[in-house]
Amino acid sequence: MWHMRRSILDHRWAGYVAAVLSVGLLTLVLKLNGAHVNAATVSVALLLNVLFVATRWGSWPALLAAIVAMLCFNFFFLPPFATFTIAATDNWVALLAFLVTAVTAGQLSARAKRRAEEAELGKREIERLYAELRDAFERASHAEALRQSEKLKSALLDAVTHDLRTPLTSIKASITTLLDELRGRTGEPPVALDAESRVEMMEVIDEESDRLSRFINGLIELARIEAGELQLRRRWGAVDEIISAALLRAEPITRNHRVELQVEKELPGVRVDERAVSEVVYTLLDNAAKFSPKGSTIRLIARRAGDELIQMAVEDDGPGIVKDLRERVFDKFFRATRDGDITTRQPTGTGMGLAIAKGIVEAHDGKIWIESREADRGTRVVFTLPIGDEDVEPERRSQQNIYV
Amino acid sequence: MSDQPRILVVDDEPQLTRVLRTGLKSRGYDVRAAADGLAGFEAFNDWHPDLVITDLAMPNVDGLELCRRLRAISQVPIIVLSAKGEEKTKVEALDLGADDFVTKPFGIDELLARVRASLRRANAPPMNEATQSALDSGDFHVDLESREITVRGKPIHLTPKEFDLLVYFVKHSGKVLTHRTLLAAVWGGNYVEQNEYLRVFVGNLRKKIEPDAASPRYILTEPWIGYRFDPGER
Repeated sequence: MWHMRRSILDHRWAGYVAAVLSVGLLTLVLKLNGAHVNAATVSVALLLNVLFVATRWGSWPALLAAIVAMLCFNFFFLPPFATFTIAATDNWVALLAFLVTAVTAGQLSARAKRRAEEAELGKREIERLYAELRDAFERASHAEALRQSEKLKSALLDAVTHDLRTPLTSIKASITTLLDELRGRTGEPPVALDAESRVEMMEVIDEESDRLSRFINGLIELARIEAGELQLRRRWGAVDEIISAALLRAEPITRNHRVELQVEKELPGVRVDERAVSEVVYTLLDNAAKFSPKGSTIRLIARRAGDELIQMAVEDDGPGIVKDLRERVFDKFFRATRDGDITTRQPTGTGMGLAIAKGIVEAHDGKIWIESREADRGTRVVFTLPIGDEDVEPERRSQQNIYV
Repeated sequence: MSDQPRILVVDDEPQLTRVLRTGLKSRGYDVRAAADGLAGFEAFNDWHPDLVITDLAMPNVDGLELCRRLRAISQVPIIVLSAKGEEKTKVEALDLGADDFVTKPFGIDELLARVRASLRRANAPPMNEATQSALDSGDFHVDLESREITVRGKPIHLTPKEFDLLVYFVKHSGKVLTHRTLLAAVWGGNYVEQNEYLRVFVGNLRKKIEPDAASPRYILTEPWIGYRFDPGER
């Protein structure tokens, strides 16, 4: 509807038609009130009309409006009426003044309109360019993000394949060594595997299979955490039980270290997934044992931090982790010993332990971080856990039990 | 001291060095292991092994750097252990002077075969062009003076470049030769990127020397790496 009206009004001839019609209409109205209007009122009203035409349709219709208005003014309102002749000389001056004013005002307002239109056009062009630029920029940054994520993916794939292939290589080499002996290849130097070597080969196969299995379990757990599908089985438990479970499991790896316990007395119970939190403590103990010298001390600390938090920490006397890497060690597959600048002969882990620990802690709404110890010696990994609400609504409780 | 061949294994993976040590020892080799390139280089200087097996990705001094350092002081055969996907590094190692490679995961037989071949090459009497007028290797007899070649007793006619290429192959029988190495040796250093030259000449050579050029048995392709020449039965 609006578009149709607009299109008629914008027609090439619309301005001229409107100029004649509007002046005619105005003249008619003024004439009907003839008794009450004087020449000055008429001229001002007609001038306004010219201005209106000028701003709406531009200078040429405005010129036509000015001439028609001048004629009407002369014909209807200047004596003698109904003729184009003018009796009084001052009326000639008034008519001329009217014509000049009408034409000038019409041209000026038409120009102002044109300017405004040009400005509007310019503004729109700028907006269009801006939008185009923004789109182009967005596309570019999207492409860059995609490229980055592809790069990351391939780096992760490299890390994963390396960790899968390494144990596989040892297994394959062991198995083929054993097979060769059994088959007794001809034309080769005789294979002489003593019982000890045979056992060693089988031990390697056993250990490396475990390593593969651990790695795959880690991958699965990481994938679950990343998909937000970590299934926490929260129930009320005791901190010292969680710690005992972790210590028991870590016993074989911490055998060559002194483990010192600093657990605050009368710690409140916590509503957590005990198995998962125990896994976090185990991971920290495992790391501490791996990256600190044999015979050194590992401290396991648990205390209350405020009304709502339990804080646990594992400290070691190893070389520590430089500040720049303290956040990155929580990234999956990042290994400070291999990927960072720390050069050491110590064994490296799967690069997943801390990433999983972080996932578990954060799923409990806790935090995990690494602190400096005095004089930058040793590592201190700290994590917090909310104690949990005493009165969890039965609904929520049952919802969580679905996963159990 | 025993006269068993000595093999130095350099790998940062303790389980693998354990296996290799046992596997190689059972075959009558004397084995030592080092956990990285630096320790490997020290062990080499200390012990003078007959062969070095090294991993490529290692902390501190990696396998490439070890190849570079060893080649600067010795012609000891080097076998690199690499993974699929490490082709670029593998080629780099071979260009730096490594003799052969084994791709992980590998069976012990494959490694042992490579070890035997490398040791055999290293122990073969050196071929001295100045004093030697003929080369005999497997099915091939090369007369360097008259530039005549017979394969399985049959004379074949080669262009000068084909002859040079085949002589280079015969002299380096069994060894993995990268495209770069072959191009530099036969065409000169300006041609090391011209893989298509090599492909054309190898194709022509195969037509002339192979019983079946479609499934070659002398000039074997090592995909993405180069070629390996097998002179056939002795």
